[in-house]
Amino acid sequence: MKLSRRSFLGTSAALSAASIAGSFAGGAWAASDSVAIASLHDLSGPLDIYGVPSNLCMKVAVEEINAAGGLLGKKVELKVYDGQSDINKYPQYAQKAALTDRVVMVQGALSGAAREATRPVLRKYKIPFIYGSFYEGGLCEKNTFCVNTGGNQQVVPLLEWTFKNLGKKLYYIASDYNAPRNFGIWNHVMAKREGGQVLADDYYPLDVTDFTAAITKIQAAKPDVVHSCLVGGPAMSFYRQWAAAGMLKKIPIISIVFAAGNEHEVLAPEETDGTIVAYNYFQELDTPKNKEFLAKVEAVAGKNHPYINGEVFGGYSGVMLWAEAVKLAGSFEREAVLAALESGIRWEGPAGVMTTNGPSHNTTQDVHIIKVENRVWSLIDKKEQIPPDTYGGKCNVFTNPNQTDFLMPN
Amino acid sequence: MDNLVILCFAVINSIALLALISLGLAVIFGMMRVINFAHGEFIMLGGYATVIANHCGLNLWLSMLVVAPMFVALIGAVAERLIVRRLYGHLVTTMLATWGLSLFLIGAVTAIFGNTTMGVSAPLGNIPIGAYSIGAYQLFLIGITALLVVSALLALHWTKYGLIARAAMQNSEMAATLGINCDRVYAATFIIGAAISGLAGALLAPISGVLPHMGAAYVARAFVTVISGGGALITGFLSAATILGPVEALLSYFATPVLGQASLLLLAVIILRLFPTGVSSLWIGGR
Repeated sequence: MKLSRRSFLGTSAALSAASIAGSFAGGAWAASDSVAIASLHDLSGPLDIYGVPSNLCMKVAVEEINAAGGLLGKKVELKVYDGQSDINKYPQYAQKAALTDRVVMVQGALSGAAREATRPVLRKYKIPFIYGSFYEGGLCEKNTFCVNTGGNQQVVPLLEWTFKNLGKKLYYIASDYNAPRNFGIWNHVMAKREGGQVLADDYYPLDVTDFTAAITKIQAAKPDVVHSCLVGGPAMSFYRQWAAAGMLKKIPIISIVFAAGNEHEVLAPEETDGTIVAYNYFQELDTPKNKEFLAKVEAVAGKNHPYINGEVFGGYSGVMLWAEAVKLAGSFEREAVLAALESGIRWEGPAGVMTTNGPSHNTTQDVHIIKVENRVWSLIDKKEQIPPDTYGGKCNVFTNPNQTDFLMPN
Repeated sequence: MDNLVILCFAVINSIALLALISLGLAVIFGMMRVINFAHGEFIMLGGYATVIANHCGLNLWLSMLVVAPMFVALIGAVAERLIVRRLYGHLVTTMLATWGLSLFLIGAVTAIFGNTTMGVSAPLGNIPIGAYSIGAYQLFLIGITALLVVSALLALHWTKYGLIARAAMQNSEMAATLGINCDRVYAATFIIGAAISGLAGALLAPISGVLPHMGAAYVARAFVTVISGGGALITGFLSAATILGPVEALLSYFATPVLGQASLLLLAVIILRLFPTGVSSLWIGGR
């Protein structure tokens, strides 16, 4: 590129004018007629199966809010960032959202690694972080609010039901990283509580595709039920090989992660039929509120929109709970909004009533135990209004306002 | 008793899988000394060819055994003509070029089909063995791997093409003086290697599904097997698979899968320390 002195001066003048204008405009949300929130999800790369529909759910929530006249007389603007399944992008975009786009809330960073990369940045810039993914539980931080289920809210009801209905002997097979290992602790907690037995905890590296030895091991252990926390594309091989060995009809599989990546649509029905999972939300949920919600999803993304599962539903419930808090607070300011969330916001949505829990910064909600048959989920049991775990009183932002570390179940 | 049978099955299965993913590489690397970093992607393309052909309504067996190897052979032919042919004898340059090819193929498949898992269900049902049961398709996989290895061995040592190929590899100048077109032999060998890799991917698709970046999981294991095997083309990698496979399977079974994977790599290191040119130097000498 040939750069003349004149064009250089012209460009740089325009650039500085734009940046000055930008900083004025950005700082002035209090006076402008719109307010920005950020969606920070993986819209490309291996994790886009979670990111794209989560982002879609945020969009549905924002359009619903704006159609009803916005918030406090302002239009809500959704700033969308693509994390590209790359952890390095998360702190960068979180910073950009805070400094350049002056957002009043950030939601996303679904994977544990992305979440841990994003949290400190938003804490530093004092921008509230809404976490929409289900997770192992134990995140009790002042600046973060978790709107999906924590470990106890998913695993406890699922295992209670399992030990009562399927048998006492459980075999745990999981991907080898942080969250499945933490979920694994819950198996032992629940087995002790319910008189069950955990026969084995088998952790597999994320790239393993040959599960022959694993299946042989499970057959030798003769469990009543297999609890799978296998995550990612390669690990789907387990379900194929399990079915190919004729085990699907012999030993039932339960899971709290199966279907979060829409495994039930990728795999064939004969590889998944009968699998039982627990989520706060599933698309087939038969309630008037859910029909309204799905109509809105169709309006935004068309008839062939991606399946909305419990994982990505957090994109919708997160924005809606935050909006309720803004209305109650009468302000977009961090302190006021957090105080409103801590006061126990009650919101009735497609997944039933959700109530934000002040001390734990997590959310009380219903959990549905569901079973897949021919790619369609049906309800088999429902546990109402399960509160987040208190971790023996340690999960409390009122008494531990400076706590940022994760807590482990006992 | 049934316990022992099922354990033997797991061990043989582990050997067969290693052999299956390594055979195409053994042909290309073992014969031509071309380090084909796109080997994993040839496997991946074979898997995709099978899944796509099957989803388009073609019979699964036809998709696996005919469409996939032919399609990957075609890709191999193009890659040989455009890239590999220009770099014979330049080990490091070929490595870089085929690595580039590997990245390109991953990118292209991601752009066309997206970064999601696809697959077909395993056919043939299952076979009960006492209190256990195994997938019949996995037995088929073991059988066809044995068939492939035996035919490769026969083709190499008892056919005219095998003789010509070995001659061109051992001393290309002498072979050329005797009227053999070495370029054509190289091209044919590369294409056959690619076709075998494609077939391996096709055969694996029903049990592991396909993903654009699935090749990475196979390429390292294939290289470890072929290099631990050493100079003897077929018997070399086969003996390496027979040593590495059981150790991995048994440790995954009796200890943890992580230990199984680690032991495979550790054992390869020990083999190469004791036999720097691979285990087959035991019976063919250190060349």
